Amino acid sequence: MNQQTTSMSPENASGRLLNFHIFRYDPQQKGDKPRTEVYQLRETPGMTIFIALNQIRQQQDPSLQFDFVCRAGICGSCAMVINGLPTLACRTLTSKFKQGDITLMPLPGFELIGDLSVDTGKFMRELAERLKLWLHPHHHEIDVHSIEAPMAPEQAAALYELERCVECGVCVSACATKQMRETFVGAVGMMKIARFELDSRDGRTAEDFYHVIGNQDGVFGCMTLLGCQDNCPKDLPHMQQIAYLRRKMAATIL
Amino acid sequence: MTARTLIPRIFSYQLTGHPWSARADKLQSATGLMLASFLVFHLHFESSILLGKEVFFHLVQILEGGLFTDDGRGVSAFTQIFSVFMLLIVVLHAAMALRRFPSQLGQWRALRGHLVCVKHKDTQAWFWQLATGFILFFLVPAHLFTMILHPEIGPNLSAARVVQDNFWLLYALLLPAVVIHGLIGLYRVAVKWGLVSNRSVLRKVIKLLIIYLILLGCASLLAYVVIGLDLPSQVSPYISKI
Repeated sequence: MNQQTTSMSPENASGRLLNFHIFRYDPQQKGDKPRTEVYQLRETPGMTIFIALNQIRQQQDPSLQFDFVCRAGICGSCAMVINGLPTLACRTLTSKFKQGDITLMPLPGFELIGDLSVDTGKFMRELAERLKLWLHPHHHEIDVHSIEAPMAPEQAAALYELERCVECGVCVSACATKQMRETFVGAVGMMKIARFELDSRDGRTAEDFYHVIGNQDGVFGCMTLLGCQDNCPKDLPHMQQIAYLRRKMAATIL
Repeated sequence: MTARTLIPRIFSYQLTGHPWSARADKLQSATGLMLASFLVFHLHFESSILLGKEVFFHLVQILEGGLFTDDGRGVSAFTQIFSVFMLLIVVLHAAMALRRFPSQLGQWRALRGHLVCVKHKDTQAWFWQLATGFILFFLVPAHLFTMILHPEIGPNLSAARVVQDNFWLLYALLLPAVVIHGLIGLYRVAVKWGLVSNRSVLRKVIKLLIIYLILLGCASLLAYVVIGLDLPSQVSPYISKI
């Protein structure tokens, strides 16, 4: 790794010095206390927070914990709070921060694994089980001889738009409602419900969905703070979908 | 944080929809919309004092039902009935909006922590709505009870209320609180039910309206103070010159 550092082109070597203020705490380690540690790193062209974190871990502190898989905004693993904005580390360029000071915090509202690593998987699984986020077909008997009903291309496209969620957990962390009320389903749950509500293959009616999200923990608990809409790294239409569900759910009850 | 959500719950009332959840949300938005719309009209009506005593006097006569009386004079009992009606709407709105208040200390801590950690304008706007909403619990009933018990409105009588009865203090506190709360509320209702898709434009409009209404309210309050300071200690109702 040292070789790489020394083989940088002259313009890279003159890159500005970045200060990373990183939250450090390992719950597994007895006696460990939450603290902020500062790491200095020279900026290179096109550097993302994800690249910077890997460099810090390789060159300065191998104990630093953070998650990543795809480094391309597809897996949703590297979500964290970067200078007050929850977002994906791999899609955030360091050049965005003119001051050169970058504060990294783990996503709030999730179980902390250590440092910047949180357990979003456990949360997402529990949510899926609770809201039954899978396709409930019209007929339960499977007949392999019957021809599958066709889906209009427009509907398929609309479904695909909502399917783009990568379960990064940013909408959960950006939502003050969710932070105050842990049983609130959050935008990710609502987005998935909206997706199945739209799906013509799903047999559930509006009343069925009302049983799941027609309460204070569901769509009527949402206070429209729109942290989900403004921070979603995949730019999913949360505001529009939650408003749609709210109107739909409100219309089922007089 | 997630300990409670991890406990498997086969059946829990929290997990099933309740008809009142939808009704409460609809009622909160509907009463809020009514109150905010009324506020905009109210502030303009009372600011007609800026156009002179005569204009204000005649507007009051019309609004107090002067069109339906023989002598064209308003009936102050109408103000009383309307104030009672508004109080009921406020009570209903407050009861529905109470669902939104953080009720436990832990929730306040979570909200504070969130506001410090995540920088988000709409969440900060909601916090201001929450704070002003709490203030309005105490200021709006004071204003409405005054109008129920002493419904006399007129250029001289209203000015006397502001200066001689020291109601300027109530109005000076009420004005910014109610304008901020109501206008942010209008914005929220619009985006909440999907009535508006262009948020940035709406946000600018709401910001301008907040500034405009506060300035308008301040100017009219000042006008009442100026009129009130000129009044004798025994105030007599304004007599129209037309």
